[in-house]
Amino acid sequence: MSFYNGFLNLTNWSGNVILPTLTGLFFAVAILRFSKGQSYSHALYSGLMCLMASGLLRALEKFASQRAWNDPDVYWVSIVSFVDWVGNVLMPIYAAMEVAMGGLALATGERIHFAGSWMRHFLAAGLCLLVSGFVRLAEFFVQRGTGGVT
Amino acid sequence: MATPQLLNDVINVLLMLAPAAAVVCLVLAGVSLRKEGGGITFVLGGGFSKWMFWCVVFLTLQPLLMWFRSFGLAVPLPGGGISTSWLALLESDITNFVNSFILRRLITTLAAYMVLRAVLDAASGEPFLPSVIAALFLLGAQTTLTLLSNWNSGTQYATLDVLNSAWNYLAGTIMPIAAGLAIVGAVFNLIAQRPTMRLVAVALALLSVSGIWYLVVDMAS
Repeated sequence: MSFYNGFLNLTNWSGNVILPTLTGLFFAVAILRFSKGQSYSHALYSGLMCLMASGLLRALEKFASQRAWNDPDVYWVSIVSFVDWVGNVLMPIYAAMEVAMGGLALATGERIHFAGSWMRHFLAAGLCLLVSGFVRLAEFFVQRGTGGVT
Repeated sequence: MATPQLLNDVINVLLMLAPAAAVVCLVLAGVSLRKEGGGITFVLGGGFSKWMFWCVVFLTLQPLLMWFRSFGLAVPLPGGGISTSWLALLESDITNFVNSFILRRLITTLAAYMVLRAVLDAASGEPFLPSVIAALFLLGAQTTLTLLSNWNSGTQYATLDVLNSAWNYLAGTIMPIAAGLAIVGAVFNLIAQRPTMRLVAVALALLSVSGIWYLVVDMAS
């Protein structure tokens, strides 16, 4: 028996046994909430996250191994990689989901209003795809601002 | 003037009891780990660190005494066994008590109590992780002791060598596993609608402890 084995098995057990088991519970909660017309997305995402604990850890390991272990920039680079992943991988996927939801809202609606929910979904999809562009734009404004007001 | 035999024997007894004292320190460190666990965080620099430090000091007591030579003080360690029978018996009894009673039996019972405590903690709405971690630490005390002994270089820097090796082990072996636990905690926080990003940042930090150390060194230089 060793502390290392115990700690490793505790982590494996909680991440690969308990969390995936709880997934079914959260999906059931999501369905029940959906049936009552309540917000179900949190329970749905919770269930998905329960299944992805190992995958998330592998992703973070990948971010933290972009540089050598003794490189002083390793933490900064890992945060940059994380932000890059959120901005350029997760957000475009979310944009696709928003487009689908916008299309669904458009198809199921009786009338087309410009203030309808489909508009919000399409706008959100566009914003999701523009995260990097907005950051570059803000950087551009700040850089121009260093010259002072003319 | 020759050192009296009784004094030599007392010194021998104390030196031979050092590993037993290290075992006691390790058990007290495990108990401190439970007492000082504040939720999902653990206090570094409190009772746990103090008892681990003394455990290392007791394990490396003889090499540590070499420092007195550099101060100009001769420390002739008496070799051989203990000639005074009652002192030899005392040393043997204490070592036997620590090995058979504390290390083989008491630690297991304490760990079992910690597990029960974890369940009761959960029942009262308190974090149960400190009790589970302390139980794991107590159950692995024998292996931890062997690990610490293996890091003993036997030189006058032995204490620091063991402490450095312990830091490397913590940063390179235990912390990456703790990152997994942090991700599990982040998922639980997401479920309970509590802040998640802090634990994600902590998981990244736990995966790059050595890099952060070199970053601090770079900042200081």
